[in-house]
Amino acid sequence: MDIAATTCSAKDLAVLLSSSNSTSSLAAATFLCSQFSNISSKLSDTTYAVDNTYLLFSAYLVFAMQLGFAMLCAGSVRAKNTMNIMLTNVLDAAAGAISYYLFGFAFAFGTPSNGFIGRHHSFFALSSYPERPGADFSFFLYQWAFAIAAAGITSGSIAERTQFVAYLIYSSFLTGFVYPTVSHWFWSTDGWASASRSDNNLLFGSGAIDFAGSGVVHMVGGIAGLWGALIEGPRIGRFDRLGRSVALRGHSASLVVLGTFLLWFGWYGFNPGSFLTILKGYEKSRPYYGQWSAVGRTAVTTTLAGCTSALTTLFSKRLLAGHWNVIDVCNGLLGGFAAITSGCAVVEPWAAIVCGFVASWVLIGFNLVAKKLKYDDPLEAAQLHGGCGAWGVIFTGLFATKRYVNEVYSGDGDRPYGLLMGGGGKLLAAQFVQIVVIIGWVSVTMGPLFYGLHKMNLLRISTEDEMAGMDMTRHGGFAYAYNDEDDVSVKPWGKVGPTSQSSTPTPTLTA
Amino acid sequence: MSAALTCSAADLSSLLGPNATAAAEYICGQLGTVNNRFTDAAFAIDNTYLLFSAYLVFSMQLGFAMLCAGSVRAKNTMNIMLTNVLDAAAGGLFYYLFGYAFAFGGSSQGFIGRHNFALKDFPTLTSDYSFFLYQWAFAIAAAGITSGSIAERTQFVAYLIYSSFLTGFVYPVVSHWFWSPDGWASPFRSPENRLFGTGAIDFAGSGVVHMVGGIAGLMGALIEGPRRGRFEKSGRAIALRGHSASLVVLGTFLLWFGWYGFNPGSFAKILVPYESGSSYGQWSGIGRTAVTTTLAGSTAALTTLFGKRLLSGHWNVTDVCNGLLGGFAAITGGCSVVEPWAAIVCGFVAALVLIACNKLAEIVQYDDPLEAAQLHGGCGAWGLIFVGLFAKEKYVNEVYGAAPGRPYGLFMGGGGKLLGAQFVQILVIAGWVSATMGTLFFILKKLDLLRISEKDEMAGMDMTRHGGFAYMYYDNDDESHKATQLQRVEP
Repeated sequence: MDIAATTCSAKDLAVLLSSSNSTSSLAAATFLCSQFSNISSKLSDTTYAVDNTYLLFSAYLVFAMQLGFAMLCAGSVRAKNTMNIMLTNVLDAAAGAISYYLFGFAFAFGTPSNGFIGRHHSFFALSSYPERPGADFSFFLYQWAFAIAAAGITSGSIAERTQFVAYLIYSSFLTGFVYPTVSHWFWSTDGWASASRSDNNLLFGSGAIDFAGSGVVHMVGGIAGLWGALIEGPRIGRFDRLGRSVALRGHSASLVVLGTFLLWFGWYGFNPGSFLTILKGYEKSRPYYGQWSAVGRTAVTTTLAGCTSALTTLFSKRLLAGHWNVIDVCNGLLGGFAAITSGCAVVEPWAAIVCGFVASWVLIGFNLVAKKLKYDDPLEAAQLHGGCGAWGVIFTGLFATKRYVNEVYSGDGDRPYGLLMGGGGKLLAAQFVQIVVIIGWVSVTMGPLFYGLHKMNLLRISTEDEMAGMDMTRHGGFAYAYNDEDDVSVKPWGKVGPTSQSSTPTPTLTA
Repeated sequence: MSAALTCSAADLSSLLGPNATAAAEYICGQLGTVNNRFTDAAFAIDNTYLLFSAYLVFSMQLGFAMLCAGSVRAKNTMNIMLTNVLDAAAGGLFYYLFGYAFAFGGSSQGFIGRHNFALKDFPTLTSDYSFFLYQWAFAIAAAGITSGSIAERTQFVAYLIYSSFLTGFVYPVVSHWFWSPDGWASPFRSPENRLFGTGAIDFAGSGVVHMVGGIAGLMGALIEGPRRGRFEKSGRAIALRGHSASLVVLGTFLLWFGWYGFNPGSFAKILVPYESGSSYGQWSGIGRTAVTTTLAGSTAALTTLFGKRLLSGHWNVTDVCNGLLGGFAAITGGCSVVEPWAAIVCGFVAALVLIACNKLAEIVQYDDPLEAAQLHGGCGAWGLIFVGLFAKEKYVNEVYGAAPGRPYGLFMGGGGKLLGAQFVQILVIAGWVSATMGTLFFILKKLDLLRISEKDEMAGMDMTRHGGFAYMYYDNDDESHKATQLQRVEP
């Protein structure tokens, strides 16, 4: 069914208008009013179509980040554990779909509810959804894609030494409960700390601003990972008896770069997509300026922050380590993105450059701290997502501009904004509160979970399995088989699996 | 450029009263302009939607190329990736020349289309270039599927021939039957002409794409026989493992990503209100389709994970990937007309169907390097049956046009007519594809153009036919092979 055409017969209308009869003029007026109403409906239909197209394609882009993260993880671990980590990535997405559909979405966005957690029955398993305008299936899909991103981050910290059943348990718990609760606080219209809280009871008169989730997604994933990695301890061989750090290099830099680029690609759904709608004008006096402009600006700030962070990392590592390191540059790039995610919509492009520059140093700093404390994180996930995520939340409290804050978040037009932009300290205070509660909540939920798994011997794999590699011992075989079984002669390409003929030195066991 | 809408109250009021005719003409003129702009907007939005969906479906070629590459032995990597590239390229040409016309060239007798060869007289009232591109992306998907079944032992010229024939003729005819408004089994046909009063419902192609590709592959693989070494003389099956699980996972995720163009995109238009002014419209159906797709694949993946853990004792990533894809192949037929909870049922059963089909293949000594016939053929067929059981009345009427007493899913209270039409679809596709592709593969075999020689198969096709190996991890100058060793790096 296409949009109904409006028909208008000038002749008939003329007769009605020229008559001095009141019935006729009423008829003319009724006709005209119904035409306007028709136009209004058609505009409404158009807006829904446009906004849903925009949100759906943004959701697909965020989903593409799963691919990216899978490749990043695969390339960053040793070949003998590749199948394991990629399976955890596939399962994060699949198990996340079920748990987010059944409970997670309702806990996050079920409305009306209290400030702590959503609870409207019609949201569990999408039972009577969509029940009101403003939230359609496209919104559910978009939020699901975010939820699985958070769970994916954590898998990086505990890679190469964690039992598969532990992954299944932490992942369902994180996606189905821990993460949705946090997203409820900061993103639901009922959330106690949300900047879009509808009942005018904003935290510090401002609410915390975390536009696409430096805190809600990156910090949650990173802190959860921190607890897992702390409780299970470093990989064997990562720190030798003297306490020196030994790099356990990943097996494919190509996969790391491919993964990084795919994550960058997907981030264009993650940040600009968080506007949810695109068809909205801001100012009658400037009809070309609307939400579509803000969406574009957000894509620009995202890009600038990542690029700056990458360049800063490139040169710093050249100074610190003496060479140009592609893996470090990739991680720096991602740290810049994780940081800008909070304020991408409410800062000027030049500020995004500052954000990226600082993010790079934050990551380098946290990596040094990790090394000192003998904390092992194969993907630097806690340092990158936790550390740069927290910096991103603070950054917003410093650099958010008055104009953008008031455009993006409704209110009386007089909301607190960034301290360094003259907006006072209230927003920054709310940002600090966000950091503290996220660290607290994730620690008290995921910490005990990982500890409980540890106590039940369900967390870490055995020493023999770790040395042999989990692919061989638990996943049916190596990921790579470059030599055929029929192949008796030595082929001209190298062997990349630990076979008995290989001259790869076996890592020594530390005490 | 559409005219700007202006309205000057001063001008209008001077016209009202003694000059009502002019006033009326003015008002009507403005309303007419508004109309035109809405029409323009609708076309722009729908084309944007369909084009980007087409690009997503095209990205499934990338995904399938990586899946294929990772699933075969390293010595045949160049070969299979070349077939994937060529499926897309040759398909482009043949679908443009004949395929699209056979599929959607209007006013036919229900068997095959006969207008718009080489896109003559195009665009039409109902179809623009975006629709052609979208359908092309689907056609090459079907051809790609088949290449998986005959991988690692097929002559390149055989690929070119089967691929052109499939994309240019066999597949378009099937899509004409089920997707053209003229097709004899199409649910878009005028109500009095529909098969069993309903037509077969295959929204995005569990049958039209997946079964066609899978059955064609079945024919090829049966006629040329298993790869050497796949089944011992005693009949025991030997796994000929693929060379890279990373590529398999990358390919699977890319296919998942592209499926968001394949399923929701099959609505072709997004700006269709169901009740003008309401927030519920075709855009909601599209979002719901993306959700059912996601849930079916996820459930199939989880079911396969645990199923294989029970059956073989470990967590197998390549099996989980195949299970995931089987779930998607199954939901493809009914994604737009079922509830999300039903999609979970679909995925669960699809996983079991795939495991069962694989067991059957092993018993009859059928070798399919990508499990393509089992996955696309088997899970595709299940997907069609699933629609006949779970299609919801409301959604069927929204998607395929409301008609009083229109049949829908058996388990939802809609009677058995739709299920009957679905069975007809399965039989007809199996029959048509077997007759056409089976004959083609048999002729190729008789002409000695199908299978490669035993020597070439042992050495690997990359070396013998494609100029060299796919991978060169060490330099010619590098005697020590240091680049490929995993070594500890001292700080």
